[in-house]
Amino acid sequence: MSDARIDGYARALFEVARAEGTIDEVEDELFRFARSYESSDDLRSALTDDQVPAAKRQAIVEDLLGGKATSTTTQLVSMVVGSGRGRDLPAIIDKLVARAADSKDLAVAQVRSAVPLTDDQQNRLRAALANATGKQVNLKVIVDPAVLGGLVATVGDTVIDGSVRTRVDQLKSRL
Amino acid sequence: MMLFAILGAEGSDPIDDARSIHWLWPAQAELIYGSIASILIFAAIFKFAGPAIKKAMAERTQAIQDNLDAAEQAQAEATGEAADIRQAAGDIDAERQRLFADADAQAEAVLTEGRARLDQEVAELEARADSDIAAASGRVSDELRGEITKLANAATEQLLAGGAVDSATQQELIESFISRVGASS
Repeated sequence: MSDARIDGYARALFEVARAEGTIDEVEDELFRFARSYESSDDLRSALTDDQVPAAKRQAIVEDLLGGKATSTTTQLVSMVVGSGRGRDLPAIIDKLVARAADSKDLAVAQVRSAVPLTDDQQNRLRAALANATGKQVNLKVIVDPAVLGGLVATVGDTVIDGSVRTRVDQLKSRL
Repeated sequence: MMLFAILGAEGSDPIDDARSIHWLWPAQAELIYGSIASILIFAAIFKFAGPAIKKAMAERTQAIQDNLDAAEQAQAEATGEAADIRQAAGDIDAERQRLFADADAQAEAVLTEGRARLDQEVAELEARADSDIAAASGRVSDELRGEITKLANAATEQLLAGGAVDSATQQELIESFISRVGASS
């Protein structure tokens, strides 16, 4: 899908969520769903298989998110998948998240961690990243066991890597 | 004995003028006649036999001279042949010496070339052996390094997969990250 079309979908989803008054919550839920989508091959193949009817793909989304996310989030994801744009879902959602952060003059900070962060850790990390980048950040924590330990923070083009995985990779490279 | 008996017997005869009284010297007439006869005989011989004798002597002399010349020529030829033989012998000896010298030179050249080629081959073999040893050493070193890396990676992955980073360490790493990022500006 072209960038213009991804931008169009992201803008549309953003406007719907903002109109519903649940932009923060929807943006956060969509972000989490996008990360789950990226990490699950089964989910990705189920939602992008053209042989599977759109109604069935939407039913899968509703089964996954029903009761766990807001109805707006569920309907937005169902709409994208139903329109055959499942492959571009992460890109659309990332654009939406960036747009939401930009609307509040924030920078999106994606943080990958092997274990979930406590609220206190998230608050202190948010402040630390704001101090390091000079921008207020919209913190998005992704639990990724592949990190092994430590954190990897990405703010725009800046990557701050303190993960065990990277250190192991560096060690391997030196070896 | 018989002669003395004859002379003794004759000595008793009376003296005759026609006969000599000397035992060696003939009677005068006999001497004259004998001399004339001898002269005539000698003259005849000189006249009739002299040319033949002279011719024979000349021929004899010529034959001797010819023999002498032939002998001298033969001697000269023999001397020449001897000189030729000696020269030939000398040439053969010189040729033999030359052949020996050539053979020695060729043998020395072959030996020198052989030694040089042998030295070169030995040097090439040594260089090749050094290169092979270095390559083998490098290969073994690389293989060993690769094996160590593989083992280290496997050990690391196994350690991490087994939950080597425990909860306390996770929290410590997170707090360390937050502190480090917060300290940087």
